[in-house]
Amino acid sequence: MLRVDAIKAVLERVGDAPIVSNLGGTTFHLHNLQDRDANLYMWGAMGLTSSVGLGIALAAPDRKVVVMDGDGSLLMNLGSLGTIARQSPANLVHIVWDNHQWAGTGGQPTHTAVVTDLAAVARGAGIPKVAAVSTLEGLEEAFDQAMREDGPWCIVADVEGSDNPDRPDVSIEENLQRFRRTFDRPAS
Amino acid sequence: MAWVEQIIQGLKDAGVDLIAYVPDGVTWRVLREMEQDPFFHMIPTTREEEAIGIISGAYAAGRRGAVFMQSSGFGNTINALATLNIPYRIPFVLFVGMRGGPGEFNLAQVPGARAIPGILDALGLQYFHLTREDELDRTLSGVIALTYAGRLPVANLLSTLLTGGRDAPR
Repeated sequence: MLRVDAIKAVLERVGDAPIVSNLGGTTFHLHNLQDRDANLYMWGAMGLTSSVGLGIALAAPDRKVVVMDGDGSLLMNLGSLGTIARQSPANLVHIVWDNHQWAGTGGQPTHTAVVTDLAAVARGAGIPKVAAVSTLEGLEEAFDQAMREDGPWCIVADVEGSDNPDRPDVSIEENLQRFRRTFDRPAS
Repeated sequence: MAWVEQIIQGLKDAGVDLIAYVPDGVTWRVLREMEQDPFFHMIPTTREEEAIGIISGAYAAGRRGAVFMQSSGFGNTINALATLNIPYRIPFVLFVGMRGGPGEFNLAQVPGARAIPGILDALGLQYFHLTREDELDRTLSGVIALTYAGRLPVANLLSTLLTGGRDAPR
């Protein structure tokens, strides 16, 4: 499945749940497909997408929170899987778009292209609900279940990249403030 | 009040209730009290940068948090500060249990701790050396107000002159 089609499938099912997207192609595609108020786009902070998602989930326990991570990014912060498991937020849906490469820097193969199984790592870290999917139908089924049932969930989706859309013209500060306004808490 | 209680009270007064940390011997004297206090939600993490990511995400959803770490781990925070907190203007209250100062016995603790002010200066972030118990509550309440007004992280460097360092009686 193409990552862009996978992101589209999630958008069709996500409702108004907040999404935090990993830097690079995932942020570009998400913005291009649907620039929602509840999208928080990473432009840097490689590795921290899962951690930012955990923080959102802990701050807003009554809302499902969706993370669109990447294999290169998660490999940089494997410890976050243990931290997520230990905190165990029922509302966190952590999707990893695993394209087996550092796509933004020229397509160098990551460890998942050779030896590493991120779903097995997630299980080993203690994540209670882990799914590994490689088809669009499999993703849709796993995602629907994750939005219905308590987690934390980690969905590792085997995807292929496609050409990125043009880089979106986003004000990073405005993106954060717009995202914050979708939550109930005070804005200070 | 002793410094440990002043930090806890200062965070409570400002509604800072989410605490992410990598433990160390100095800040643990605060953290172990917080771990027993239902006001705080405690998040032990595997790495300092991860702690900042979590607290930054929480701020994006409207909740205030603080990060505790040892000076030797501060070096792990630079990418988060430079590519997340500064460009997005995401504040949090940072506490660094300083090693490498008066009383240090471990050479490996010295260079990283000495570099912290220079790194923060280079990033354009403010920091305050907390050295005296009798000034702590005033300094801390001011630093927390500054953090959220300025919408950037501000560092509280907990000097060994305040804490007694690694070998202080616990």
